[in-house]
Formats: sequence, C-alpha cells, structure tokens
Amino acid sequence: MSEKSYNEIFSNFEEISNSFNRKNQYFDILYDSFSSIRIEKSPFTEDISVNSKKSGIVARTYTGTWNEIAFDNFSDLKNIKNSLPNVVNKGEEIAEFNGWKFNKEINPKINLNNIPLEEKIEKTRQIQKFLQNYDKRIAIARVLYKETHTTRIFVNNEGCQLRQVIPRVRLWIYPIAKSGVKVEYDYFSEGGEMGFEIFDEVTDDKLVQIADNSIDMLNAKNAPAGRFQLILDPGMAGLIAHESFGHGLEADQVLRGRSYLIDKKNKKVASDICTICDTPSLENQIGSYFFDDEGIKAGKNLLVENGILKNYIYDRTSASVLNGIPQGNGRRESYAHTIHPRMSNTYFEPGDYDLEDMMSEVKEGVMIVKSYFGMEDPLAGGCQCVSKKGYLIRNGEKTQLLKGIALTGYVLKILQNIEAISKDKTDLHGGTCGKGHADLVPVTDGGSYLKIKEALISPG
Amino acid sequence: MSNEKIELIEKVLRANKVQEYEIYLTERKAYESIFLKEKVDKERDVSSFDYVLRILNQRGNKTGIGIVKGNSLKPQEIEHNIDTCNKLSKINISSKYFFPSKSPAQKVSTFDKNIIDDPLNIKNDLVKELLSEIQQKNDVTPTFGRFRIHIDNKYLRNSNSIDIETQKTYFFIEFSLKAQQMGKLSEFWPFIFIKDRKQLDFPKRIEKWARLAQDTLKAKLPKPSKDAIVIFSPQVLHDAINPVVELHASGKAFHEKVSQFNMNEEVTSDNISMYDDGLLEGCLAVNGWDGEGTPHQRNAIIKKGSFQQTLLDQKHAILEDTKSTGNGLKSVDGSIINGISNLEISPGNMTLDEMVSNIDQGYFIEAFSDLNPSELTGDFGAEIRNGYYIKNGKIDTPIKLGNVSGNVINMIKNCLYISKEREFFANNLLPYMAFKNLTISS
Repeated sequence: MSEKSYNEIFSNFEEISNSFNRKNQYFDILYDSFSSIRIEKSPFTEDISVNSKKSGIVARTYTGTWNEIAFDNFSDLKNIKNSLPNVVNKGEEIAEFNGWKFNKEINPKINLNNIPLEEKIEKTRQIQKFLQNYDKRIAIARVLYKETHTTRIFVNNEGCQLRQVIPRVRLWIYPIAKSGVKVEYDYFSEGGEMGFEIFDEVTDDKLVQIADNSIDMLNAKNAPAGRFQLILDPGMAGLIAHESFGHGLEADQVLRGRSYLIDKKNKKVASDICTICDTPSLENQIGSYFFDDEGIKAGKNLLVENGILKNYIYDRTSASVLNGIPQGNGRRESYAHTIHPRMSNTYFEPGDYDLEDMMSEVKEGVMIVKSYFGMEDPLAGGCQCVSKKGYLIRNGEKTQLLKGIALTGYVLKILQNIEAISKDKTDLHGGTCGKGHADLVPVTDGGSYLKIKEALISPG
Repeated sequence: MSNEKIELIEKVLRANKVQEYEIYLTERKAYESIFLKEKVDKERDVSSFDYVLRILNQRGNKTGIGIVKGNSLKPQEIEHNIDTCNKLSKINISSKYFFPSKSPAQKVSTFDKNIIDDPLNIKNDLVKELLSEIQQKNDVTPTFGRFRIHIDNKYLRNSNSIDIETQKTYFFIEFSLKAQQMGKLSEFWPFIFIKDRKQLDFPKRIEKWARLAQDTLKAKLPKPSKDAIVIFSPQVLHDAINPVVELHASGKAFHEKVSQFNMNEEVTSDNISMYDDGLLEGCLAVNGWDGEGTPHQRNAIIKKGSFQQTLLDQKHAILEDTKSTGNGLKSVDGSIINGISNLEISPGNMTLDEMVSNIDQGYFIEAFSDLNPSELTGDFGAEIRNGYYIKNGKIDTPIKLGNVSGNVINMIKNCLYISKEREFFANNLLPYMAFKNLTISS
C-alpha cells in the first residue's frame, strides 16, 4: 500500500464516509498499519526479521446485517461506494454514539525508533550468551525480542475522527535445562506499551534466577491428580478471570444464546470478596488502547463487584441489542480480520489478605504458579487453565516443586470457592488471546494471589 | 499481476546489485459468511498481499541472512526494504546457508478451478447447503458459525534460478451446535480448515456434530483412573502428536541435542508408521515445494515403531552435509521453520468398532477443550469436552469435564490399536488410536 499522511487518510475517509448518511445506515472505515522487529537468538540460531509496514483498510456498513470489505491497495478506496449496499432508513437498526476526535502517539520512556537495530540485536545476544554460559545444564538458552508499532485511523459517519499509534514490546526468555535424557524449562516474559526500557528489569540477578528456575525444573515431579485446597499466583488468577470467566461475558455469546452467564446479570457469580474488571484504558499495558476498532473510547468495565455480575463486554452490535454501555471492546486482529467483543486487561482487584496468612491456613494443598495457557468454554462455563509449574504446600510451606498443572472444573464453582484474595498490587501478564482459535489480539490478565477452598487439578 | 509485482521487486534488487536474494510473494483472497444462530449476520470479502525478501551475505563459513516483509510496491518503499534487508544480512550471523537451486517438483493438485472462477457464488451455494443441512436437525440449534473460502497464490523466486508458483483453494468452518433439554445445555464446537470440496460432506459432518452435541447433554463426569485405555479421535491426535513429533523429528532438535528420538531406535509401538508428505493430496499443506522452494517428498519418519529419518530444511541439511527433505516452512515473520508439511499415520488392521470391542473398560475422546502438549517434554493435561465411556466392548455413557493427562512421547510407545478408518484433519491424515497407561482425573 502506498504511504499517505494521516491528514490525507482522514480526508479520503471522510469523503467516503459522508456518502453514507447516518440516518440511512451506519458506516465506518479503518486504516490499520503494523510494523515489527523480531529477534530470536539461541546457540545455533539467530533469526532477525523486520516487517517494514503492512497496512490495509477495512470499510463496513450496517443495514440490518453487516457488509464488510478489506483490501490493501489505496486505489481500491474508490470501490467502496459500489461494493457496500446503499440503503434508506436503516440508520436506527443500530444504536448511535457521539462522534469524537482524538489523535495520539504513545511516546515511551526510551523511544524504540531512537535505538539502532544493532543495539537491539546486541542486547538480545548478551542475554542469550549470559544464560548459555551460566551453567552447563543449560542446554539451549533461547531469547526472543519482539517490538510492534500499530497505527489505527478510524472515521465513521457519526463524526469520529480518531488516530492512535501504539508501540508494544515483548521479551521471552527460555533457558532449556538438560540432565541425561531429561529436558525441562521454565520461562520468563515481560512486555507492555513501552520502549527499550524493557531491558532495565533484566538484570544479571534476574537472569540467574530465570536460569535457576529452569534447572530446578529438572527435579520437578508430576502434580497429583484430585481435589485440593489451592493458592493461585496472580498469573493463574488472571487466566481464570480472562479465559474461563471473561469469554462467557463477551456479549456476542449472549446474543448467540451461548453463554453460561446469560441470565446471571445482577446475580451472585463469585464469592463476596471478588471484584473483576476489564479496563482497556489502563496505561502502558499490552492490552491497552485509547479507542477500539469501532471508534468507542476505551473505558473501565466493572464486570463483577463483590461477587455480583454487573456487566457484559460489548461491541457496538451487542451493546445496541442489549442496551449496554460499550467500554471499547470491539476489536480486530487486523484489517483482514473481523470484529468481536474482546477483552483487554482483565483482572481481579486486590483483596485484604496477607499472602503469608493465606498460605499458613493451607495444611495440605497446592500452589499453582506461572500461567501457561487456557481455553474458553462460553456455553458451559468449563475451566481449563494450565500452569508451567507449582508447589505442594504442607503446613503452610511450599515444598516439592511440581511440573505443569491443569486446573479444571466449572468456573463459577471455582469463583464461589475463593476464600481469600491477597492485598498485593494487581500484577498483570501480557499475552495473546484468540476468539476460539482465531482472531488474535494483545491482552493482559492478572490480579493478586487467590486462595481456593477446593478445586480439581491434574498433571498438565 | 503477481509476476509483474515480482518483476518490479527483482528489478530493484538487481539495480542494487544484490547477489543472493529470494522473493516470496503471497496474494490472499477470502470470502466469508458469519452466522448468528441460523441467519447470515455478516458478509466479508478480504484481499491482501505481502512479500518477504531474504538477502544473504556470505562470510567464510558463516552466512548473514536478512529478512524483511512488506506490502508496499512504491519504488522508494521497495528500495527501503532492500536497504533494511541488506543491512540485516550484514549484522546477522547464521550458520552457512545458501538458497536451494532449481530441481523438478512433482505436480500435485492444489486448487479447484471452479472456485477460482466463481468464488462468491460457490461460497453462497455452500452456505445455503450448510444451513439447510443444519435446519433439518430438530434436536440441535446453531448459536453461531463461520464459513470461508480461501484462495491463496504463492510465488517464489530466488537468485539461484528457482521461479515457481502455486495456487491453492481451501475452506474454513467453525460452527457451534447447541443441544438443550430441561434447562441443560451442551454443544459441539468444531473449528477446522478443509482442503477439498468433497471433504466438506455436510450431511455426514452435521449428522456427527449434532449427535455429539446431543450426547454431551447426557454426559457425566468421568471416573478417575491411573491406568486408563483411551481412544483418541483424529482431531485429538492432530493436536497431540503433530507438534511433538514435529519437534523431535526435526533436524533442528537433533542439532540442538534435545530430540528424544534416536535413529533406527524404537520410539513408538511397532504398530505405528508415520510419514511427512507435502505431496499428500487432500491435506491442507499439499504443495509441490516447501517454503524455501525445495521439492516436497514423502519422508518416512517412523516405520513400525523405528525412527527412520530426520526432517531437514535447507539450513540443517547444509549442517549435516546432505539435502533438504523439503521441511522448510515459511513462518508468518518470513523466517524458516524446520517442521512437518503434512503428517500421515498408516491405518491399522481393525475397524474402529473392532477396536472398541477389544476394550472392556476405557474412554473414547472426540474433543478436548484444548490439547496443547509441551512440544519439548511431551507432557499434557486437557479437559474433556466430548467423550464416552467404553464398557464391555461398547460405547457407553457420554462423558465431559474431568481431565486426561499423560506424556505424548511415552503415549506413542503404548499404542494398543489403530483403526483402518482415517480422516483428513487440516494438514493431517490420521486414524483413531488407542493408548494405555493414561491418567483420568475428575
């Protein structure tokens, strides 16, 4: 796609948007541009790839159903008027929101554009070399650095004229430890809407800890299978908030008749001490932004307050049908992907308990740490959340290190079994979320430590 | 048109006197209908293209590889991308690498001409067919769905005389069918890429999906067992076996000394034979060549339990002083991944019914919520979404929730039975397989 200034894009988009009268139909158009640098370093591999700038446009209209076209050639702009239906008196089919104007680029502490590529590569090489040389049991130290820059320009026929430029950086470190034929690893990841300051946290002491964690995994045992009292770290708490609970709150599932939370609004869904939010407007998080891909301003969505379900997660369509107030959750992976209501930064608010006290109350249980992956079950509310590791707890103390653990069961049962939430500051972890298996968007999830009365675990 | 695009990029490469280069250009079109319950709620037409440049910089026994991806054909943008790629090739330090040279690739069928000629009408006809089939099922209702036709054109040209192209058509279906009775709800939620039109077979597919949704309504929690016999469906095997074997059979894993496989040693039960086959028609990744332009071939990975062959991309072939086996996959970022093209497991000697009849007490798993084993260690634990007990040689009560856990590397050494029946699932052609010594918890 040829490059144009954002003022030219605004001007082109407004001209097209003006040809669709809001009284007759809703129309919006989005420009999406994405560039990235990816550096992967291991002892035998160095892959460096640059995505110079991939950009495209998606335009759509609502006339009772959605029609959408997406392309990557600016010259195709002229086809929009003929490709999308032009109707009369269908404007009220979808709720109208106030138009607004916004234009912002995030400027991190150390701007990535001011750091030469060589320095990024060198930093990645240094970390890899440090870990590789740390201990002979580290067979493969793998380091992955990825920075992305996303520009979204949005215009609609409600008067929206919006632009945001967001840099995101992530760093993954995987030292693979080997002893005889046994191979194991732990991992570290960090990320955010930030700049080169991401490396400030990666001190030598931190690297030693990361390497030791992997080496320790060589002595980890399989987790027991059965029902146990549990302590979950903030990452696992977030995985439950997002994967098991949050996907059922996405209001398209309500419209589909496919959510276990369909008749639960204003009802008790969790223990009284639980408050859960989704907040795209948080600063500097991987899942943050100023407006969504439908021009709705990012806000804060109080999903659960003191155990009571207060809100679903809306896009324009579902907010319109369900009379909801959207908080900026209509998201696309890119111009080539469709919109769904999606989470952003989803977390448990901190509680009143000391972690030490929570632990001391567990005579025999399991602590699950380092969230790994999870899968949604919006219809039935089933839970599958898998960790990278955990610990047995005996008489309030962490004892044997465990390999990955799968936490399963009904999520509402798990939420109702939350007996304590620690007062530690909310800790968010970045990741990528799919709607089912597709349409990947950057998100975070987290919270503080949770104590669960009883839940089913097994080796994961 | 794409040849013009490649010519344009190559012209700038030559003008910049770039000696060793590769251009990998992809054009994609997708036509999608998205359903809300049983009506079409959204229609989407998407077209996109991008190209990946790779430039090599030879430095003795090392090679620098620059990789840049873009989708602008503006001359100054191409120039900028080439500059960046050149710069990267000077910074990067990789083991010795050179592009493959031209070799004859086998012709395989990768596209349906009717779809190329009239994708939108074919999509609309198939959507009608799909909806009509679903509407005939009184005991289930759709909650949402997506149906898509894809047309991809891929072009690869390098400075070593490779100049090839492929056109590919395929489908994507995601559908949730819900069953409901006395306030109880259940669903079957398939998500699948399908290569050929004849594999769509809506009547058979919808019949099976509806039955699974209905049966799950009556599902119970499975009883725990520490030594269970479990039959896995082709879908489950795709998620379980493909990623683990892909890693441990790769030249990369051997080079890094993390593979659990040893050449000519028993790595599975002797009833298992597995092949990597990029030429396997009906599988999603069928193509005459891999992501580096090396011709695809049929590679025996495991024969009767014995590990036969590492899968090599160009880099690991050069390291081993041999030839690539056509296992260089082009990643989204443009780098090369050493992996499986299509995975085929040979059929067994009994039907699925006969397999079931051989099991007194066991479990049959059609789908997990997400079976995502650690490729490196093989460990897995996953929640059952749709499954059944096997009792006295017969499929018995449906089961749901609870967890199956094990280790794929150990599991494939404990394979009891393999079915004669096989199914295409994305880039796999797989039978049903029964394994012992798995753990069920609930």
